[in-house]
Amino acid sequence: MEIQRVLKESQIMKIHYITGIAAIFVVAIHIMMRLVVPFESSLNYDYIIANYKNIFYVLILESILVLISVHGFNGIRVILLELRQNTAWEKVITVITISSMIALIAYGTRTIILANGL
Amino acid sequence: MEEIEHPIRNNFEGLRGWLKLSGYGWERVSYWFQRLTGVFLLIYFIGHIYETSTIVNGLNAWESFLELTQTVWGHLFLIVVIGASTFHSVNGIRLIFTHVGIGLGTPGRPDYPYNPSSLNYRQKSGIWIALILSVLAMYYGFNILFGE
Repeated sequence: MEIQRVLKESQIMKIHYITGIAAIFVVAIHIMMRLVVPFESSLNYDYIIANYKNIFYVLILESILVLISVHGFNGIRVILLELRQNTAWEKVITVITISSMIALIAYGTRTIILANGL
Repeated sequence: MEEIEHPIRNNFEGLRGWLKLSGYGWERVSYWFQRLTGVFLLIYFIGHIYETSTIVNGLNAWESFLELTQTVWGHLFLIVVIGASTFHSVNGIRLIFTHVGIGLGTPGRPDYPYNPSSLNYRQKSGIWIALILSVLAMYYGFNILFGE
């Protein structure tokens, strides 16, 4: 599994920029939806469960999860590839970052699905 | 097509080289902050995903986790997160503009003292705007978290 064979580094950077810009918008919506009520009330259990049952908000949460996971773990990959350059290191870092990204998305999606069913 | 084997070239400076701030301009500070805030925000994001997952264990699990995070130190940490995310976003937009050539200026003949035209006031003002907006966002966050 080698991401460079599937995507060129320039294409990966385009994905990095697009996910970054898109994340700013969805995180802004996420924060605005927290601020429509006083901060303490926004952490109320029933209020949050009600949020998880709102399909629009669920889609926002899932897109935040995917966009920031892709952007964040690719950022870590870029930093680690700056520190050392050789084929073996590149392969290991790519596999670790993609696996971590998939694991985080799966864990966050599990929360969204379970909370939606509460 | 046969793959070309590249010789192993390790960056011997490693983390020390990455963290070195002296001897460079504001662009280096921006480079350093962008990576530092990026790593910090990813760690926060992983923690936030874990924190919100406690809600599926019921009201008691959620409220006991809130007791850990809804403290003065928890709120101060959130203010740092607000500042880091604002800087990372605004400076990230500046970097995208730079990558596509916006704000780099026009190429000129290299004359003494060989100041690169790309490291101009537009780039520096972008960094300052990112820092100022971060402080304003932190102030707004402070008012929300400690205001009432």
